[in-house]
Amino acid sequence: MTKLRPLEHSLNTSLVEVSFSKKITNFFGDLPLVISLLLILIFGLFVLYSASGQSTAMVIRQSLYITLGLILMFFFSRIKLKVYEEFSLHFIWIAIGLLVLVLFFPAEGYKTNRWIDLGFISFQPSEIVRFILPLAIVSYLTKRKINLSFIDWSVAFIATLICAFLVLKQPDLGTSLIVAISGFLPLFLAGFPRAYLFTLAAFITAMSPFIWTSLKEYQRQRIITLFNPDADPLGAGWNISQSKTAIGSGGLSGKGYLEGTQSQLDFIPESHSDFIFAVIGEEFGFLGIIILLIVYLVIFVRCLKIALNSKTEFGRLASSCLAFIFIIYLLVNILMVVGLIPVVGVPLPLISQGGTSILIHLLSFGVILSVRKEGMKSG
Amino acid sequence: MKKIFSLNEKNRTSVLFNFRLRFIALIFFLVFIIFFFQIFNLSVLNNIIYQTASENNRIINIPLYSNRGLIYNENGDLLVDNIVFQKLTMVPGPHNNFEKVLEEVREELEISDEEIQTFKKSLENRTYKYQPITLVRKLSQEQIARFSLKKSRWPSVKIEAGLMRHVLDGSLYSHVLGYLGQIDIEAINSSLEYKYPLDALVGKAGIEKFYERQLRGSVGYKTIEANVHGIEVREIRTTSPVKAPDIKLSIDRELQVIARDSLKDKKGTVIALDPSTGLIKALVSFPDYDPSLFNLGKIEKLHEIISNKDAPLFNRAISGNYPPASTIKPFLGILGLNEDKLDWRTEIEDKGSFQITEGGRVFKGWKEDGHGMVNLSKALIESSDVFFYQLALKLKIGEISNFLMQIGFGSLTNIDLDNEQSGVVPDKRWKLGNIGSSWYLGDTVNIGIGQGYMTATPIQLAVATSALANKGDAFQPRVVKKIGSEETARQLLYSIKTDSNNWKKMESSLMNVISAWNGTAHNVFDPKGPKIAGKTGTAQISSLSEEEDYSIVRQESSRRDHALFIGYGPVPDPSLVIVVVIEYGESGSSVAAPIAKKMFDHYFSSKL
Repeated sequence: MTKLRPLEHSLNTSLVEVSFSKKITNFFGDLPLVISLLLILIFGLFVLYSASGQSTAMVIRQSLYITLGLILMFFFSRIKLKVYEEFSLHFIWIAIGLLVLVLFFPAEGYKTNRWIDLGFISFQPSEIVRFILPLAIVSYLTKRKINLSFIDWSVAFIATLICAFLVLKQPDLGTSLIVAISGFLPLFLAGFPRAYLFTLAAFITAMSPFIWTSLKEYQRQRIITLFNPDADPLGAGWNISQSKTAIGSGGLSGKGYLEGTQSQLDFIPESHSDFIFAVIGEEFGFLGIIILLIVYLVIFVRCLKIALNSKTEFGRLASSCLAFIFIIYLLVNILMVVGLIPVVGVPLPLISQGGTSILIHLLSFGVILSVRKEGMKSG
Repeated sequence: MKKIFSLNEKNRTSVLFNFRLRFIALIFFLVFIIFFFQIFNLSVLNNIIYQTASENNRIINIPLYSNRGLIYNENGDLLVDNIVFQKLTMVPGPHNNFEKVLEEVREELEISDEEIQTFKKSLENRTYKYQPITLVRKLSQEQIARFSLKKSRWPSVKIEAGLMRHVLDGSLYSHVLGYLGQIDIEAINSSLEYKYPLDALVGKAGIEKFYERQLRGSVGYKTIEANVHGIEVREIRTTSPVKAPDIKLSIDRELQVIARDSLKDKKGTVIALDPSTGLIKALVSFPDYDPSLFNLGKIEKLHEIISNKDAPLFNRAISGNYPPASTIKPFLGILGLNEDKLDWRTEIEDKGSFQITEGGRVFKGWKEDGHGMVNLSKALIESSDVFFYQLALKLKIGEISNFLMQIGFGSLTNIDLDNEQSGVVPDKRWKLGNIGSSWYLGDTVNIGIGQGYMTATPIQLAVATSALANKGDAFQPRVVKKIGSEETARQLLYSIKTDSNNWKKMESSLMNVISAWNGTAHNVFDPKGPKIAGKTGTAQISSLSEEEDYSIVRQESSRRDHALFIGYGPVPDPSLVIVVVIEYGESGSSVAAPIAKKMFDHYFSSKL
């Protein structure tokens, strides 16, 4: 991080000295960020190979999505920030439309109505919403920058609730919460008045018994399981107890790549998707997890830096929101896998198998890199 | 971007933004810290616990069993074999929907509710993960055909080969061999050194039960690594079970056949044993049953056997308590000699009945007119009751009961068969405790002829008779001669001590029971046959009141007397003791003795 600072300075001070490394930085945007992303993506492919029962087909498929994602990221990072500001307000209607569509025309072969099948590809509209929604809200709020009225806050807030509700209906509790957060984050960062915040918090607290009863039986079961995972180790507690066993048995340095017995003998359910972190824990151990998290943190810190350095209201809000959402995905997933929060269907960002998830994450980083470019230009 | 906001306004929002951004970032870092501690807790602090848990997940120890040991008779004929059959098993894993599969299979193969119940009970008591649980113990050809058509639908259900016990000679050896039955869950849990399979058949009677430990062999283990579905990924190691040894009985086929044939249409028991070793040569209790009905689980026939009022499952030879009647007389004679209450010349007059005091209760002898002047020898030959009434009275109950206990009455012989009974040797304490009244002299008098409160099992009589045959030593009876290649050992049970002169006179008296014209078993005398010593007995079941006449009582078959005979031969070097007890047989001499005679004849002619 510190190494790059002189580069940025030199870019500002001297236009004559254009070194090779500067060219690279210019081309890719933020070098530590991009390198960290690539490291995680490549590492993720190896983990996926192990977690999928050594399925080359799955790894190839995932690589295709990653390649496509990287190309789109590069492309998105070249788009001017104003374009996002303008178009996100239009795209949000399309995204909401897809959410409604998926409830009526879900792809067949899945237990829940989360997918839209286009024949050659199927994707989750909820992933698109949680990307477009924060951008749209940021755009909506920044356009009315002076004296945001109660109506303005309410419009943004209600839009968030509608999106979250539609996702909840699929049903997908985990993503629904993330959508809600993705809409509320920009509100909060843009200065959601403190009085509203407290009212909202009080309201949610008062409603919590009602929320509990409106949950589906399996969702309640997952919450109960969290507090008492050993009550039914073969039933609802199976996932948590097996993933904890996998991570715990990995020890300090892990059992070695492809040597994890929990992973290789299928004891970890969903080991290639939501529970892939358990595979990492078992095969690479405590140290492997720490190193991986450091790389994730590098990404996070670089994104916050971009946000703080951004010269435009839209830029700093958009980039910080997208960075936070990325980290929320990470935290929700790893906390779930180690049994600190209930089991919700949230993948480990950039590593879990799943095309839509990878594409949207990389698109987000495209936007963040675009913010960085913009900031540099105006500075 | 144009600066449309005032500097103040912009600064204000920017400060708020920076603050809130840092606020959220701080929360995230805190969550990371919590996560860090949890990971540290899992993979460093509790690593050992989770390592064990993950090992337990993948490692399965599958027990391996030996085939049950086979059983042969002394002649080397195979008596009990293992036969192969097809059974249906199921492996309910943690995640296959076994309730649904169970229901489908039940419907398709028409599995009985009883089998489903057994299956569910076994399921609750699994001893290891992915243990296959028997659903149908013995599949019919039709069931196999039906299952084969649809088996791909139920990957967790399999046809496996199992072994069943097959008895070759039907009921001939039933009370020696015994039978097998489904093991109880409690027995599985309490058996620590041997892990039984859930569908194990274990010995429930006879030597199948007594030698269960030997016949089952030892457990081996196959340790495998398995995936979450319990499917073997690789074999880690295998310890084979030690093969269970075969068992060789001392039972002689021909003697057994003769004994059983003689008992047909009767109820009773015949025991033949070698006095020099205690090895049983024949043991029949009739009525009997076919152990295969139990071993193959033919339920309808079982109920028939169990509810039969003649109790075919009851092993009369070791569990039947009978009054020994006159067969006790030789032993009391020896006691009298040892205690100096009489010698071989002592004579009394037998007038046919006996009273302790004038006008008291009359103890009748079996012969109404009496035997005249009798000494011990004549009292044994003619079986004088009055002589032994008087002898008992002289001896006193304490001396009698002590002696009878010394020679094994009232306690188990510890023959290697299960469910042996001990009979009763009464004394004052016993009567007070069990009958609730004090001892009368009349009770002592009754013991003198082996009646009253005293009962003995036929095997006790056989062992005591072998002491007469050996002139002292009695060995523990046993039916198993060899386990694998190892001979079972002879064990001294007790020894009767008396003068050699007494032994000589006793033997000649007992031989005269058969050879003398006035002997009670003279009807079986054969001058050309082997020299046999013996004693008859006729046990009254209902004591007759003075007005009653036996000729009337006998019309009611359940009140008829039991017929007994004990004997050994050939003198002077006896190699066979025979005890015969025929329930309601009425006469020791005309019913019991001829059976023994037939067996002696056969045994000695085949030995020559």
